Amino acid sequence: MDDTRTGPMDDTRTGPMDDTRTGPMDDTRTGPMVVACIRITDLRPQIEPLSGTVVREPWSTGLSPADAAALEYSFRIAEAWSGHVVVITAAPPSADAVLRDARALGATVLRIAVGSPSSDQAYVDELGSDERAMAGMIVAALAPLGRPSLVVCGDRSSDRGTGALPAFLAHELGAAQALGLVAIATTDQESMVVAERRLDGGWRERLHVPCPAVCSVEGAGVRLRRASLTATLATQRTEIPQVTAAGGPGAIRGAGSVGPAEVAVGSVRPFRPRTRVVPGPDSDDPRLRLLALTGALVAHDPPTVVGPIDAAGAADALLTFLIRHGYLDTEPVGEEAAHEGTR
Amino acid sequence: MGKANMVPAASVSSDTPVFDAVVVGAGPAGSATALALARAGRSVVLVERGPFPGSKNVYGGVVYGRVLDDVVPEWWNEVPVERWVVRRSTMMMTGTQSVSVDYRSAAWGEAPYNGMTTVRSRFDNWLATKAVEAGAQLVTSTVATGLLRNAQGRIIGVRTDRDQGELRAKVVVACDGVNSFLAKEAGLMAPAQASHHTLGVKEVLDLPGHVIDERFGLRGDEGIDIEMLGCTRGIPGGGFLYTNSDTVSLGVVLSLTHLAEAKVRPEELIADLKNHPSIAPYLRGATLREYAAHLIPEGGYDTMPTMITDGMLVAGDAAAMTLAAGLWLEGVNFAIGSGLAAGRAVDRAIAAGDCSAKGLASYRSDLEGQFVLADHKRLRKAPHLVLSERIQQRYPGLICDLVDGMFTVTNPVPKQGGLRVTRSAAAKHGVKLRQLAADTVRALRVFG
Amino acid sequence: MSAAGGVLGSGHEVPGGIWRGISFEDRMSTVEFRVGERAHITVDSDVCRSCTTKACVTACPANLFAPTSEGGILFNYEECFECGTCYMVCNHEGAITWTYPDGGQGVVFHQG
Repeated sequence: MDDTRTGPMDDTRTGPMDDTRTGPMDDTRTGPMVVACIRITDLRPQIEPLSGTVVREPWSTGLSPADAAALEYSFRIAEAWSGHVVVITAAPPSADAVLRDARALGATVLRIAVGSPSSDQAYVDELGSDERAMAGMIVAALAPLGRPSLVVCGDRSSDRGTGALPAFLAHELGAAQALGLVAIATTDQESMVVAERRLDGGWRERLHVPCPAVCSVEGAGVRLRRASLTATLATQRTEIPQVTAAGGPGAIRGAGSVGPAEVAVGSVRPFRPRTRVVPGPDSDDPRLRLLALTGALVAHDPPTVVGPIDAAGAADALLTFLIRHGYLDTEPVGEEAAHEGTR
Repeated sequence: MGKANMVPAASVSSDTPVFDAVVVGAGPAGSATALALARAGRSVVLVERGPFPGSKNVYGGVVYGRVLDDVVPEWWNEVPVERWVVRRSTMMMTGTQSVSVDYRSAAWGEAPYNGMTTVRSRFDNWLATKAVEAGAQLVTSTVATGLLRNAQGRIIGVRTDRDQGELRAKVVVACDGVNSFLAKEAGLMAPAQASHHTLGVKEVLDLPGHVIDERFGLRGDEGIDIEMLGCTRGIPGGGFLYTNSDTVSLGVVLSLTHLAEAKVRPEELIADLKNHPSIAPYLRGATLREYAAHLIPEGGYDTMPTMITDGMLVAGDAAAMTLAAGLWLEGVNFAIGSGLAAGRAVDRAIAAGDCSAKGLASYRSDLEGQFVLADHKRLRKAPHLVLSERIQQRYPGLICDLVDGMFTVTNPVPKQGGLRVTRSAAAKHGVKLRQLAADTVRALRVFG
Repeated sequence: MSAAGGVLGSGHEVPGGIWRGISFEDRMSTVEFRVGERAHITVDSDVCRSCTTKACVTACPANLFAPTSEGGILFNYEECFECGTCYMVCNHEGAITWTYPDGGQGVVFHQG
């Protein structure tokens, strides 16, 4: 490498090899800044059953499903906004492999150097560390890159899932917060994203989140894209810029003294067909009623096996079945109606 | 940097090789190839389909590291070892009996050591890291899906499952394991034959290190490896047990064709073994940490694929380089040995400017000249003998009954003579003394 | 009693030995699988209907193949060891198509 750069102010490009990048590798860092704030851990650490010692292997570090989803949503939103993605993590150098993959996907990456939790005590100490201070450190490290329009985090990590960091980040940034989401989508305005969150009983609520905002997402619904081979090779030996743990809470704040904008809650109802009232058997003879209820002497359709088919085909088969047996009106409802109508 | 591993321009659409070599599979064979090539100053990309080297790999016993003497001086000081094997046991079993031949050597517990037990995720990572440190480029989570050929049909690289995923190189080295799709695609290997493969299933069981020490009579980093015969319900194969620092690995190796015919589930046979009166006491209180299964190419020398073609070499399991000859069960050392030889051959071919089969031919002669093919050639008949019906189904019981006849005190009935015991044990197991003598001669010919 | 049912000498005796007590699910739960979206195994059930041995059902160490009452084979691909046993023991050409899962997906052995 030509020189050793450590500050977040530096261009993260290192060396001439990056000049050959094409497509998603081009990060000129224009447009709104979307930050993926992720935790990189050993996804399947070994726990000695007797001593309880946790063994973490550097090569099996990776992204939890929630963090992978956070990264994928960051890319999707940055693409929609024609913006750029910054990936930040606080981790020991073993996280660099994952950061290089993010680099190959076109993100600017940044690692806040924290000690490697080599011993269990160090790990426990880290667990007990102040997440508010950590949020301050992250915000300070991001400050030289500009003001984030959106920060996306995973809602939990496999090794320490307090889920409090996004809230602290929102506080430090003076940003709105929407946590535990299952989906984030852009709207026609850049100052707003729409998000969905699970509620009890199959319900979901739809949130209108004004930017800047901090969102945390569940590890569901999306898969992290894969970098091209060319980009992966090009970033093989990229030095990951490091920021040493400095700064502190309040390094930067939201614009002005106004508090974060409020998240507006709309809602999305799940699709729930109405219960169908089935009349009881109409007979005075208990034996006949029982026969009617159990259907013991009625001829049945044999079970049909509808071979391995794709999701759309399966949905159609289910709908047809339900309509045929009177569980659904022949007039399908809502979006399905429109969909069915085009057939 | 500054070496040969500069990254090429993004979109090379011509047939121009971009790298000196592409090595497919970052197991011991692939990493050794990449290490040898990178040390020689060649640009080499090592493609691994798992998230990290070793994540798809399973072995069954002992890694013999002396093959590393020339490439990693004093490798024993840095290799991720679990235990150094100082005890080797061969156990002949029936359902309730066992006879062991047990060898122990203090010399095996000192540098340069004979064999070690290890964990493949650690060992394979260590070797791949050596290659990367030497200048190889390792790309993980990437499957080589096929071969690239030029208009004349010559192999010029591999296709991978990533975008812009073509890798053009002067030589492709296929170290893609027992199922080697690349060797099959290149026409070097016949379609898979169950009869040339065995299935290894293995359990890694948690057991505290000091308990292992006490039960197996070990100290510190000493380990034991036990090979077993007669524990697979008549399915040709065998069992193994070896100690790691605080786990014990135990498994069975089963002939695929006979397993399929027997309609027995593999884990049933592991359960049998764990319940055997000779094994169960070793494992009391052990809990399952990880279950694993892997195929082993076991056909030996006579079933090896063609290893060389224009622009491509095959090494390791992909070239059927495991020695599964009863007393010997080796594979990782052959993989490393063949990988190093492949690396040397590719380097020579590139230096000579001829990467055709002719230019790469020194690979074969190199292997023939050292243990890799010499051992396989010498023991070429061993797989057949070891997996034969009498060795598998009759002799373990015969030997157990022989020893039983010698040592069971039958007072007040007088002791029988040795010959008589032998004859009655042989008769019980349907073996004629003539066959016994013939098999002894055969064994002497094969192993002697 | 151990939760996993796998501790020797601590559980109730099951016929055939204590070790039979570990359920197949417990056994498979010790292995990490990163499940990809694409099924890397496909089975042509039409071919299977004419198969009398159905060797894949018992030989697969991950127990991924199940016979159906109609004589076909139902398969799973998620918890696959990627060993290759199924296509090698299959005696009908092309009934089982088997490839590697996509890069980074599939089984991850930590103790191999």
